[in-house]
Amino acid sequence: MRKMMAVVLAGMIALTAACGTNNNTTDSGNAGGDNGGKETEKITIWAWDPNFNIKVLNLAKDTYGAENPDLDIEIIENAQNDIVSKLNTGMSSGTTKGLPNIVLIEDYRAQGFLQAYPDMFYPLNDTFKAEDFADYKLGPTSLDGKNYGLPFDSGVTGLYVRTDYLEQAGYTVDDVQNITWDKYIEIGKAVKEKTGKDWLSLDPNDLGIMRIMIQSAGAWYTDEDGKTPNIQNNPAIKESFETYKKLMDANIVKVHADWSQFVANNNSGAVGSVPTGNWFTPSITAAADQAGKWAVAPIPKLTNNADSINASNLGGSSWYVLNVPGKEAAAEFLGKTLGSNVDLYQTLITEVGAIGTYKPAAEGEAYKAANEFFAGQNIVQDFARWTAEIPNVNYGMHTYAIDDILKVELQNYLNGKSIDDVLADAQKQADSQIK
Amino acid sequence: MNIKAKTNAISWSFIAVAVIMICVFYFYPMIQALIMSFQSGTGTNLSFVGLDNYKRLLSDTSFLTALKNTSIYLIVQVPIMILLAMFISVLLNDKNLKLKGFFRTAIFLPAVTSLVAYSVIFKYLFGPDGLINTMLLKLHIVNAPIEWITDPFWAKITIIIAITWRWTGYNMIFYLSALQNIDNSIYEAARIDGASSFRQFRSITVPLLKPIILFTSITSTIGTLQLFDEVMNITKGGPGNATMTLSQYIYDLSFKYTPNFGYAATVSYAIVILIVIFSILQFKLAGDKNG
Repeated sequence: MRKMMAVVLAGMIALTAACGTNNNTTDSGNAGGDNGGKETEKITIWAWDPNFNIKVLNLAKDTYGAENPDLDIEIIENAQNDIVSKLNTGMSSGTTKGLPNIVLIEDYRAQGFLQAYPDMFYPLNDTFKAEDFADYKLGPTSLDGKNYGLPFDSGVTGLYVRTDYLEQAGYTVDDVQNITWDKYIEIGKAVKEKTGKDWLSLDPNDLGIMRIMIQSAGAWYTDEDGKTPNIQNNPAIKESFETYKKLMDANIVKVHADWSQFVANNNSGAVGSVPTGNWFTPSITAAADQAGKWAVAPIPKLTNNADSINASNLGGSSWYVLNVPGKEAAAEFLGKTLGSNVDLYQTLITEVGAIGTYKPAAEGEAYKAANEFFAGQNIVQDFARWTAEIPNVNYGMHTYAIDDILKVELQNYLNGKSIDDVLADAQKQADSQIK
Repeated sequence: MNIKAKTNAISWSFIAVAVIMICVFYFYPMIQALIMSFQSGTGTNLSFVGLDNYKRLLSDTSFLTALKNTSIYLIVQVPIMILLAMFISVLLNDKNLKLKGFFRTAIFLPAVTSLVAYSVIFKYLFGPDGLINTMLLKLHIVNAPIEWITDPFWAKITIIIAITWRWTGYNMIFYLSALQNIDNSIYEAARIDGASSFRQFRSITVPLLKPIILFTSITSTIGTLQLFDEVMNITKGGPGNATMTLSQYIYDLSFKYTPNFGYAATVSYAIVILIVIFSILQFKLAGDKNG
């Protein structure tokens, strides 16, 4: 009886396995057919943020569709976290079914994907000219000399400030140009004293502001190889921790716990400034009643670090083509739109406010227009100028793993643990965890 | 083939499909995960590392923090919830209570709401400017808003409140059904003998509910060891790692960081081992062969 069971079981397993193999063969057969014939092809694209990335894609799709009606492009909106989990599950299981042709990936995560799934991405060297894009975007998007990502969202940071609050505290916009974080805190205290408003809104669970500070000094959590944790003897990290504590001690921070509270704090006038990435512009301008009250200045720099400059980056992203059937069409779509089309970039500026990192586009007219919401300031040109200055760093594969270690140690530091112990412990944990 | 063997073959053929399904969808993944827990590397570049992952577990501060947090939830929340469920069910089992159906439904309702929806609502209730803080301030119970979500201590309390709110009603249902199976004549006899309500509860209700207490504490223990949704949606494990659970750590290792599925599998086996230990302990403590 047992034997019979075993036979039945073995038979079933063999059958399942055989089905699997069959499916695979049919897949590749289909793929071959698709590439050979010149029928209507279909590609899918995954991205997040309907007000930003999805709008950009739709404009690119319209532009491309006008000349190439044969390509059917489907744009699917997913939350960024969902994209990350779906890519990871899909790619690690080895089946490419259900994965898109083009996907948006945050620069901090790019090396993780490129190195963890080396065969899953399609090189784009022939699709666009790398030298046309901002230098600091090329490090995260390429591997072993091959460009896998088409650089997109610049992530260039700026300091959004309420000019009316500044004036009440006896300052002008000129006083926040190219300042240090110490000066920023000093102004914040004055604003709080005169207006009763907090100076900025922070989430204790998001180290974004520290990443801005660290990159402004050309440093990162890891050495240049992107693998060796570099925390304990990293002056940029040390000063960022100290600056964060100074911010908290100055009693000028309003705490938020999630994104919508963050946006609400800024739109309701509860805080006077927002040091963040340029992708935050649509959220600022959403409060139409505050038109004319905002300005954008360069991000502050670290006070005691000679390498730190008034330019940094936060959470930029780029487009990647997956190595699945339809890759040629997908690459061509990207190349002809976001990879080279200067006119498209002008439309993106006027309709979405998306700046991008394509250098030739900065010559266009749209980049020179004044922004009425920001009292006539030409914020696009300012952001574009700062983009060119951002220090190039290698984010490596472990940004978020180290970020989580630092979050815990930051809490310990705020609770009184010494900075040297904090950094030494963080280094020890990172060394043991990152393998 | 004699008759017995034939009947056997027929009966096996009936359950064969189920057996195969269970093998393919339960045992195969479990064994795969066990094999994977001896591998390490990023994404698909896994290689065998022997017991390295298990050694790493013991020195991994994030894992130990997650283990500590999960134990705190377990030690604080499960007893509170079990007692509360028992207490409420005894109240609702009262013959003279009016609107019994309404109360039972009201208390059970949280268990059928969507995990994500209720977590999101809790996040807003307990936010810095949320309803709870506004109420506490208006009633002059506190002077400054409590940092329910952004302070390490209060964030844990928020999670405990959230899971208690959701699962008490669920456990209550088991107690209610068990209470209804207790013969009323036992209580009548006790009353005639002059036993107080508390004495009746202690000497009749609790002993007779023992199998259910064991059942609910084991399922609650397993549920708490696998706690994920609430923490993920309310605090994201923060501030720092103050509310992170073991399940969330597995998620982080697999999806948030550059994936290391091998090590993530090791952490999930650590949960399996814990569940086995706790279940055995509870069976032993209950000390009843029928339990």
